[in-house]
Amino acid sequence: MPDAAFERRFGAALLGLEPVADATLARALAIHRNTAFKAAEEALADNYPVLRGLCGDEAFAACAHAFVLARPPAEPRLCFYGAGLPAFVANWPPFQNTPWLADVCELERLAVEALFAADAIALDGAAVAARLDPDRALTLHPAVRFARFASPAGSIWLAHQDEAPEGALEAIAWRPEAVVVTRPGDSLMVEPLDPAAAALLEACVAGASLRTIAAASWVGDDVATAFSALITAGAFA
Amino acid sequence: MKLTAGLGFKTAHLTEALTAQADGLWFEVHAENYMVDGGPRLAALMALREARPLSIHGVGLSIASASSPDCHHLARLARLVERTAPFAVSDHLAWQRWNGVHHADFLPFPRTRRALTRVIANVGRVQDALGRPILVENPSLYVDLPGHELTEVEFLTELAGASGCGLLLDVNNLFVSAHNLRLNAKAAIDAVPGQFVAEIHLAGHSLDRDSPLIIDTHAAPIADPVWALYARLIERIGPRPTLIERDDHIPAFDVLMAERDRAAQLLDARETIHA
Repeated sequence: MPDAAFERRFGAALLGLEPVADATLARALAIHRNTAFKAAEEALADNYPVLRGLCGDEAFAACAHAFVLARPPAEPRLCFYGAGLPAFVANWPPFQNTPWLADVCELERLAVEALFAADAIALDGAAVAARLDPDRALTLHPAVRFARFASPAGSIWLAHQDEAPEGALEAIAWRPEAVVVTRPGDSLMVEPLDPAAAALLEACVAGASLRTIAAASWVGDDVATAFSALITAGAFA
Repeated sequence: MKLTAGLGFKTAHLTEALTAQADGLWFEVHAENYMVDGGPRLAALMALREARPLSIHGVGLSIASASSPDCHHLARLARLVERTAPFAVSDHLAWQRWNGVHHADFLPFPRTRRALTRVIANVGRVQDALGRPILVENPSLYVDLPGHELTEVEFLTELAGASGCGLLLDVNNLFVSAHNLRLNAKAAIDAVPGQFVAEIHLAGHSLDRDSPLIIDTHAAPIADPVWALYARLIERIGPRPTLIERDDHIPAFDVLMAERDRAAQLLDARETIHA
């Protein structure tokens, strides 16, 4: 039998697409299937710890198992596995009454991207000022990610970190949040942004020049504070 | 530095790994976990690399696939090897890629002459991309497929001879395969071609709850019969860099170091006797 044909038959049997009469072979296939599923599900648990904490181990395991069945890993780097999980969670029937779970899942995805993004020196205020060119966009750090959520996803994420102050979860004001994810000093930072900083970062992400930003209607007296907040977050490189 | 026994590196153990005092200690990492552009995990690996010799162990090349290794994956491996200058680069005699899915385990195949030609070519492609020989590891087997034309040892020996690769002999995998396929483990270890073996792996296995099979889980301490096979192997072929692998139910660093020290003592005793 040609090798490709063997792979096709074995692969189909492995996924349970073809019946296997031989009990020994069936058990061997089950062991291979379990090992691969376990690896993929553990990768999801590693990449989405806050989602897991929010919905509980059992509900997370059920969702993760269904996701691995529907969207198995396409490549060997399981540290990146689960890019499609936020969309899957948004449509997962048991989570229909908790729509913020998909927001937190999306934020955790951005955190994974930020964690493994390329290294670059984050510029301080003086360095940013020295490189200012009104007709060019500011260069964002490779780890910068930005998103707007209908829920306070950033505050929920922060309240589930080990270093969160007591009562952080109860103190959350339930409102939409714009969140920046960065990696200043090589450790992950997630921070909800005020409206000015959010608008500024959104414009930077879109590649707007300083001249364009200066002329924008949303720019007010708080733009300097907004710049300062983003510089502290290590957003520019 | 002469390499003795090493440990699979866990990021949580970074500080202890950097400061551990042991002659010949080295570390091994799974290549795929570090195929990233940057960030703290890669920085930890580079710090470790400064302190101790490093081995890069791939779990995703799929060198026994009917098709060639994925060129993007190979390029990422080459970049990592260039960054870290490891003393060894290895992966498994298995396939994982099928129909656009990466199956995160090591799948078996009929060891035919045709398969041998294909694996020799794939190993050649990997070695050309890296500019150095790799080591190929014997996988754990759970079923005796029909259609084999060569035993595993014959296959690995011909592969090493033809491609110039070395062998990474996983004693636990050999024990698991021998148990599951009802082969004689001692005869299997005695048939290993020592001249090609450049590294040894030791790990724990678990009993399958639903069958008489045992499973290569890396979730337990190394079992006594595996230690005995290991001692028998190095008695015959001499000392080789030996790795303690643990990937689940990971204990404290000093517990892993105690297992590592046991292997180091066996290596040392082997050397003393034959000195």
